[in-house]
Amino acid sequence: MPTKNSLDYAYYPGCSLHASAGEYDLSTRKLFKALGIGLTEVPDWFCCGATPAHNVDELLSLSLCAKNLELAEQVEGDLAVACAACFSRLKFTQHTLEENSTKRKQVETAIDAPVKLDGKVKHLLEILARDLGLERLAASVKKPLSGLKVACYYGCLLTRPPDVPNLDCIEAPTIMEDVLGAVGAETVAWSHRMECCGANFTLSRPGVVIQLTNAILESAKAAGADCVMVGCPLCHGNLDIRQKEIEGVYKTTYNMPVFYLTQLVGLAAGLSADQLGLDALIVNPLPLLKEKHLL
Amino acid sequence: MKKKKMVISQETMDIDFVRKVEALSGTSVRRCFQCGKCSAGCPMATFMEHPPNRVVRLLQLGQWQRILAGRSIWYCASCETCSTRCPNKVHLASIMDALRKLSWDAEGPSKESYVQLANKLFLQNIRTYGRQYEMRLAAVFNVKSGQFLKDLMLGPKLITKGKLKMFHKKNRNMNEIEKIFARIEEMRKKGEAL
Repeated sequence: MPTKNSLDYAYYPGCSLHASAGEYDLSTRKLFKALGIGLTEVPDWFCCGATPAHNVDELLSLSLCAKNLELAEQVEGDLAVACAACFSRLKFTQHTLEENSTKRKQVETAIDAPVKLDGKVKHLLEILARDLGLERLAASVKKPLSGLKVACYYGCLLTRPPDVPNLDCIEAPTIMEDVLGAVGAETVAWSHRMECCGANFTLSRPGVVIQLTNAILESAKAAGADCVMVGCPLCHGNLDIRQKEIEGVYKTTYNMPVFYLTQLVGLAAGLSADQLGLDALIVNPLPLLKEKHLL
Repeated sequence: MKKKKMVISQETMDIDFVRKVEALSGTSVRRCFQCGKCSAGCPMATFMEHPPNRVVRLLQLGQWQRILAGRSIWYCASCETCSTRCPNKVHLASIMDALRKLSWDAEGPSKESYVQLANKLFLQNIRTYGRQYEMRLAAVFNVKSGQFLKDLMLGPKLITKGKLKMFHKKNRNMNEIEKIFARIEEMRKKGEAL
């Protein structure tokens, strides 16, 4: 158990966590509170620009992120980020502005302030696995997730591209498996853990998403997983919200609950279904959790 | 497009365009030696008429009009797999960003309009609200793309699950956000940024 509260972070939830991924936000806050980790939301943070901004206007993307990094300076502590896309953009901005002085000058003009790049940006996984540490995480477990077989889905942006997020090994990360191992779950080895889900094509070209996510769910099922765990609201939307549609198109049944990492770790920490927002999931996870005696 | 003969000459080798792409992307187009690893790992290659390695080859040959007229660049998901696996450190995902920007500035000669519309609405949302307003994003997309029934069945479910918010608060940094957009436009007008 964490005895001294030395872990305090500025928190950048990102747009999705205030809307379609409300349960990710809720479970993050509850879990961190239970673990004795402090989170203070960055006041009036705004959109990082995500994929659409850098897709057509990198300077805008870098400037929006640089301004958010500046806002984060108001709160003490490293910056905790939940969404894989926000995490990727903020880290990418730090990396690019560090390396490219022309772009740095342009961004400083755009935000009318010098950019500060020394603040640390961390994904929730890093905080759990490294700052809190696996031992303390394991010590906080009230209800080990024994018997639950989880397919850890990393998606694209937690680890790629090289030298940018530096979260874990770029082609064979284990940080999700490490965290789940510490809370007693079983993780499966599977092929599609780092394949793209189609991300924001969910709005413009959902057909693309259906094809890619079907392959992901098929691979998870073939590996014998009971459920999938993600650390990104877009991956979650594509695998969970669209799952019925995928089943319809491919005439199959997955019935594969998709959890946010904070929901599974929170479950092990003894939090209730309500505290973790499990009812917001589209694929109902309650039958599985009851069958495994976790609820 | 496939049957159209490609003419390569001193005139078609538009090195200025390549230089612009290199400045925007911060990576070298000329380093690519066509090993094809990018296309082998690309999850979206199946949807493109020119797979990623061919996009770079066309660019090297100065055939950028072919790239901008096609849909390949708009079907890139920015998953960064290509940049990760390139043995010669060509940051292809950034090249794709640069190509989209140049196509965007030329007001999109590409026929792939849905992806461009989605991007446009997403950026408008930032300028108007500061944060993404997903309900508006989806609704306006359907209206503007003429697909009124797209994902209609998902709507009510998402609302009852609290995943789509009907109302949206404006961010308190709106002034600051507007200034960022305006300053970038100003810089571009003065030729201080691409």
